[in-house]
Amino acid sequence: MNIEHFLTNASPSWMQHESDSDIVISTRIRLARNIANTRFPISFTEQEAQLIEEKMMQSLLSSYDNPYQFSYFQIKDMPVLQRQILVEKHLISPNLARRKKIGSFFLTKDESISILVNEEDHIRIQSLTQGMNLKEAFDKARNIDRYLSKSIAYAYEDRYGYLTSCPTNVGTGLRASVMLHLPALTMMKQMNPLIQMMTRLGMVVRGIYGEGSENLGNIYQISNQITLGKSEETILQELQEVVEQVIKKEELARKNLLMRAPSVLEDRLSRSLGTLKYAKILTSEEAASCLSNVRLGVSLGLLEAISQRKLNECMLIMQPGLIQQYIGTTLQPAERDMYRAKLLQEKLNEQDEATNNGEKGEDFL
Amino acid sequence: MICEHCKQRHANVTVTQVHNGQKVERHYCEVCATQFHPFQFDVNEEPASLQQLISNWFNFVPVNAKKESTTTNTNSPKSCPSCGFTYRQFLKQGKFGCGQCYETFSEQLPQLLERLQAGTQHVGYMEEGPSKEKVEQQIQELRTSLQQAIAEERFEDAASIRDEVRELESKIRQEGEGNA
Repeated sequence: MNIEHFLTNASPSWMQHESDSDIVISTRIRLARNIANTRFPISFTEQEAQLIEEKMMQSLLSSYDNPYQFSYFQIKDMPVLQRQILVEKHLISPNLARRKKIGSFFLTKDESISILVNEEDHIRIQSLTQGMNLKEAFDKARNIDRYLSKSIAYAYEDRYGYLTSCPTNVGTGLRASVMLHLPALTMMKQMNPLIQMMTRLGMVVRGIYGEGSENLGNIYQISNQITLGKSEETILQELQEVVEQVIKKEELARKNLLMRAPSVLEDRLSRSLGTLKYAKILTSEEAASCLSNVRLGVSLGLLEAISQRKLNECMLIMQPGLIQQYIGTTLQPAERDMYRAKLLQEKLNEQDEATNNGEKGEDFL
Repeated sequence: MICEHCKQRHANVTVTQVHNGQKVERHYCEVCATQFHPFQFDVNEEPASLQQLISNWFNFVPVNAKKESTTTNTNSPKSCPSCGFTYRQFLKQGKFGCGQCYETFSEQLPQLLERLQAGTQHVGYMEEGPSKEKVEQQIQELRTSLQQAIAEERFEDAASIRDEVRELESKIRQEGEGNA
């Protein structure tokens, strides 16, 4: 599979179903692994890096019973724009994208599994699913993990488990994250206390692009902080419980918002849809916040029905890299804002494939 | 302004030192400043990263580390035999250089992990031992180095390699019996 396949489809196939919750967007599982008796990327030589890549290629590309059909790409061969798009689609990490010489990744055709090689650790297996599916995403990653361990001896010790470059990942090497849209909790200013409470429970809350990024469009990523001293099942179970609580809180906050000032809310959310439909210039911040409002409005029944799939696509294509990919040329930030407005309008005006003459078909998908 | 030390690069770090109650300002470039004052400022590559968090949590450790380095200097400087990392380097970068660092810094590790993690003992999935093929490959490699040791008349090494080979061979035999 050549790289164009992964760049031109804005919306990956794993994201094309309608999920049952409009609060949970996606689930991501990551397993960090290293190869035994080999220095970590922070201290290894280029030659060692090369050997690791070869080992991975051997395990994933050249075996007879390979069920995964991975495509393999090296970072150093890629133009900056391509790297950016892969980050925007969450297929690779910003860290890997910044690499000048070493680093590569493997991708499945549906983009639901990617394996990052020589990022912070030698191997990072990542699996993505739509909605809240911790178990399914974990099983997928774990299967690849088992598959790799047949031919690769991992750095593992009985006491500390899987050894990782950073001790925040040691043990299970498991980071499970759920991406949530929490506009009502944000509007009601309940996010900060919630984040503090979650920290005490051993969870981390971050913006959409992970570590160090701000929340854009009221989208947050909740993940486990602890990787040692708890089993994989416990980690997943606890995250599941915390996320379910957050969803309940968000639902309650939405009800409260509706009760307090329904017409003010409706006005605000309708204006956002108006902006998306008619504005000529849209910055990414404005687009993200309007899309968040529209998502909320649709979910509360205050706005016309727009499928989640379409809204998810809008969220993806409004990002700088994907806009430029779509237009087919590099753009200055000001030009990007114009094209962003144009693209979102086109997307929102597109007829939904499955709409039933404008009747409430969306809910039944 | 030019760096006071290398006199080449642009000075963009100001270091304030207090000597006998008198403030002295020094101007260094980032490169020289990291060499002199590894703990007094962050290189700021990844803002608010977990690595920095660790460094911040352990800001009190440099005192211990200094103490330790003075005491251990006479015996052996504590650096990882496999990657050369020191504990100071780990604190600065928030990452270990290799798997062996976990063994090398085993004294400091429990207190670090207790702060970061839910315990100091892995309770998750156990990694299965290497497959028969992998062990056989390992034996083959050991035999080659055994020959080499004998040729170079390093008999002590040869003896320990031989023991290792025997151990692995008996492991394979046991597994074979277990399967049968």
